[in-house]
Amino acid sequence: MIKRRLVLASALLAGLTPLAAHAETTEILVHYPMPGFFKSVMDQISTEYMRLHPDVKITFTSPSPTYEDGLQLMLREAGTPDMPDVSFIGLNRLRVLAERNIGTDLTPFIKADTNLANEGFSDGLLNLARFGGKQLGLAFATSNPIFYYNADLVRKAGGDPDHMPTDWDGVLKLSAKINALGDGVSGMSFRWQGDDWMFSALLFGYGGTMLTPDEKKVAFNGPEGLAALTLLDRMVKEGKMPALSSDAALQGFTAGKIGLTFWTTGALRSTINGVGDKFELRTTAMPVIDEQRGHLPTGGNAAVMFTTDAKKQQAVYQFLKFAAGPYGASVVVPGTGYVPNNALAPKDDRYLGKFYAANPLFRAGLNQMDKMIPWYSFPGNNGVKVTQTMVDNLALLVEQKSTPEQTLKTMAAEVQKLLPR
Amino acid sequence: MPANPAAAAARLEARAAWWLTGPTALLMLVLLVLPTLAVLALSVTDAELGVPAINFLGFDAYTDLLTDRTFLGALRNTALYVALVAPASVLLGLGLALLVEAELGGRAFFRSVYFLPVVSLIVAMASVWQYLMHPSIGPINLVLRLLGASGVNWLGSSDNVLFALAVIGIWQALGFNMVLFMAGLTTIDRTLYAAAEMDGARSAWDRFRLVTWPMLGPTTVFVITISVINAVKVFETVATLTQGGPAKASETLLWVIYQEGFVYLHVGTASAMAVVFIALLLFLLVLQTRVLDKQVHYG
Repeated sequence: MIKRRLVLASALLAGLTPLAAHAETTEILVHYPMPGFFKSVMDQISTEYMRLHPDVKITFTSPSPTYEDGLQLMLREAGTPDMPDVSFIGLNRLRVLAERNIGTDLTPFIKADTNLANEGFSDGLLNLARFGGKQLGLAFATSNPIFYYNADLVRKAGGDPDHMPTDWDGVLKLSAKINALGDGVSGMSFRWQGDDWMFSALLFGYGGTMLTPDEKKVAFNGPEGLAALTLLDRMVKEGKMPALSSDAALQGFTAGKIGLTFWTTGALRSTINGVGDKFELRTTAMPVIDEQRGHLPTGGNAAVMFTTDAKKQQAVYQFLKFAAGPYGASVVVPGTGYVPNNALAPKDDRYLGKFYAANPLFRAGLNQMDKMIPWYSFPGNNGVKVTQTMVDNLALLVEQKSTPEQTLKTMAAEVQKLLPR
Repeated sequence: MPANPAAAAARLEARAAWWLTGPTALLMLVLLVLPTLAVLALSVTDAELGVPAINFLGFDAYTDLLTDRTFLGALRNTALYVALVAPASVLLGLGLALLVEAELGGRAFFRSVYFLPVVSLIVAMASVWQYLMHPSIGPINLVLRLLGASGVNWLGSSDNVLFALAVIGIWQALGFNMVLFMAGLTTIDRTLYAAAEMDGARSAWDRFRLVTWPMLGPTTVFVITISVINAVKVFETVATLTQGGPAKASETLLWVIYQEGFVYLHVGTASAMAVVFIALLLFLLVLQTRVLDKQVHYG
């Protein structure tokens, strides 16, 4: 008995100090958020990486449910021995790390890496994870908003699922028709809740920006912002969009009770699984607002290096590149619905060329990639709070307790107060 | 042989007492007292997650709370939630306990059914409620539509959301209160009822008013206290179902503390809120036991 305990204890000790036990291998501790989206993807990427690099051992810490939880974990563990070597941070939260000087700047690695462009890491891609001259990470999974629809309901309402409206006027008319079908069916939902991402899709769609170029003043309170809020207001008034929580809207759509919905392409795989055979799910591009000036926000996350151990950093950099590179994309895209951030992956049959030919639902996000600009993240220590302030104001508009003009005024005043002075 | 056997026994007992209470005392110190002191200390600083520098601010965070719209709104929402949940769950719990104890049959069955919410995981149950209250596919609205009424937007409307959460809160607290009252009922001496009847208390209401209610006094104080504290601490349903929305309509105290500290990363402000929260709980506790204790008949 005592002997067995001793064996157990030494086994435990060995488990706790793997570096001492296998001095020749490098262990990389990896953390990631949203296991619902990413668990299988992460497992696959790490297994493949370890097969190709037998001298590296990848260990996962327990994942965080959301980007915010993940960020909080990394901030808490920064500088402690428990800190993971790698984490996947929401693109709109990278700035928080940059302003707090947490995370390793990848610029020296990238400068030394002559082959980077050939591996599909374009400058536009690198720019998604760059703040204040620092390369904070490599974009791992990127997304843009797309138009999901229930083809059965569209047909029933007299629409043509093969020729969906490409502007908002047409979408709102179709939504009203679907809404008139009765039986608890609603025309549309638009994911304005949770964060400012979908609002920025409308604002950027009109060519607007959140703040002035010097980031001192609110800039969304101009004509573009008013147009974006007016459009949201029309979704309620003309499109008969109900005021739902984001969960309720998503459940309503997957249950076949909402005709049209607008959200991230990153949710595509889980939506396909949720819908099953209940109805014919289709996707297409977001309705175009302004052909010339319009843009769409980029969602998703970036692989960030946290280790400060110079010996380990090269190994970690190689892993980041592998995860964010064409192989990583070939796993992430089919597994989630995110668009390939890597320029090489969608063209090359070794990676995703064949996949896109066979899976048309995934093409909606791909075809909009030239419109993507970074998800704006607000400066200063109230950056996260600004997002919630905007959502709260949008809620009042969707509930029709406020007009677009009032909402714009209040929202601009409240956000201005939260900006650094 | 010790000189004085009695003193030795007392020493032994004292040592045993330390051994027995020590682990608990230590755990309470480490897990309760020290964190509370840490929160107190953080509340007078501008601490932020991920920022190594901490500056002393004094009571700025507290004075800011007085004009903080979010915090005051959460205070109001929590007060309203408590006002809805605590009385309803106490009164309904008492009613159920009386019905179940009336020996109409099925005692064990009803006791289990009403106790089920207490032992189930509230986060999991919240998803069930989310489905039940779904505006278009939820069974509650389906029934309402069958009855000819229009459906209600339970969780998606800022006018209804707190009420909807209160319904879930009452459902959750009901069974626990019922079981507590049932335990209280069994301690009432049966002969008191016979005596009351002899003295002319003929109706069930009279028997309740003259015997059951006064004899349940200590139980009622306890149930009210527990109900109020649990209602003030509402968090799980808010976090799973509404995230404080829409438009702050369901933001409660614990939710804004969590939001401020862990989402906005303002640890200093969140700590000040937490201190106010703890003070509020202690105040309620003292107030209730003081006021209610005076009116309770301890048999």
